[in-house]
Amino acid sequence: DDDWVKLKLSKGQFEHRRRLMEEWNAWRKRVEKELAEERENAGIVSPSSRRDDDTIEVIE
Amino acid sequence: MRPILLQGHTRSLTQIKYNREGDLLFSVSKDQVVNVWYSHNGERLGTYNGHVGAIWTVDVNSTSTLLLTGSADNTAKLWEVQTGKCLHTWEFKTAIKRVAFSEDDAMALAVTEQRMGYPGTVVILSIKNDIETEQSDEPINIIYPKGSKAMAAEWGYLNKYIITGHEDGSVAQYDWKTGDQIKSVKAHNAEITDLQMSEDRTYFITASKDKSAQIFESNTLNHLKKYMTDAPLNSAAITPIQDFVILGGGQDAMQVTTTTMRQGKFECRFYHKILEDVEVGRVKGHFGPINTIAVHPDGKSFSSGGEDGYVRVHHFDEDYFRFKYPELH
Repeated sequence: DDDWVKLKLSKGQFEHRRRLMEEWNAWRKRVEKELAEERENAGIVSPSSRRDDDTIEVIE
Repeated sequence: MRPILLQGHTRSLTQIKYNREGDLLFSVSKDQVVNVWYSHNGERLGTYNGHVGAIWTVDVNSTSTLLLTGSADNTAKLWEVQTGKCLHTWEFKTAIKRVAFSEDDAMALAVTEQRMGYPGTVVILSIKNDIETEQSDEPINIIYPKGSKAMAAEWGYLNKYIITGHEDGSVAQYDWKTGDQIKSVKAHNAEITDLQMSEDRTYFITASKDKSAQIFESNTLNHLKKYMTDAPLNSAAITPIQDFVILGGGQDAMQVTTTTMRQGKFECRFYHKILEDVEVGRVKGHFGPINTIAVHPDGKSFSSGGEDGYVRVHHFDEDYFRFKYPELH
């Protein structure tokens, strides 16, 4: 009974959402770069990359 | 999505937490019991006995060896995860409302309740991860938040600062070494009930009684996202794999009709993390307000703990993973 909504968007809504996605992705790129630099300077490996990722499958 | 119901508490849940691998789920409750469960099948591994008051908070270190709990009995307790043995008890003047290990496990914070004669504080504790070594009673520092008391707190990445969420709805950044406030923003119009970090701690989500949840950038406290609902929120979590957030709450039991109570209508609500105003789904089931939500680190399941005394473990079905906005990809 889980109802995952399906969306029909107007052109305006579509453009707005695409902009939000682009802004977020650009922000993530910047922040992840800064974080990697700070971690490298501190000589500390990211805890998430320490984790054993073998069991995690990539879902398309 | 068939939920697993964990029946091991007799009173309302206050916090649940997965370990880093996600194979274990820890739950604490007003019933003074700490439970640990296998997250994949809901089998109970054991309990940690010793608190003599409601337990408000729980956290586990990154190697899953140490568990920290905070209680209305004015203590925080450190437990050996594997054996259930209590390794240390820190005594305070008031209840412990929130605990959290630092990213490197070397420290923990404990949020103490404000009560007549005692200000609310955030105590920074030193943690020795070797279980044979005696823990120090002496805190590294005690932070006295300005103005409104802290309700929830978390560590920044690389222990750069701690982030606190307050009763007046503000969010602040504190230097845990000096106890000084670095930044503060008025985030919500009512008390903050939960604060959870993203996996890399570069951003975090707050839940509030003002019926909204918000995302902020950790370093700057810049506001990034806001999710509006129609009920006071008690918990908010960020999901890996999908760009979603999960929100839970509900009107207090006194204001709820018995019909609603009987039907298990209290819902975890899923919003698109980036698109904000898009509610993508709901998961019903609890018979009272949802107090705490935690997401499995692999993003394939999540759990909720309710005022009804139950923990519900939900494994996402294929529809969940297939869900996306084709036009945006």
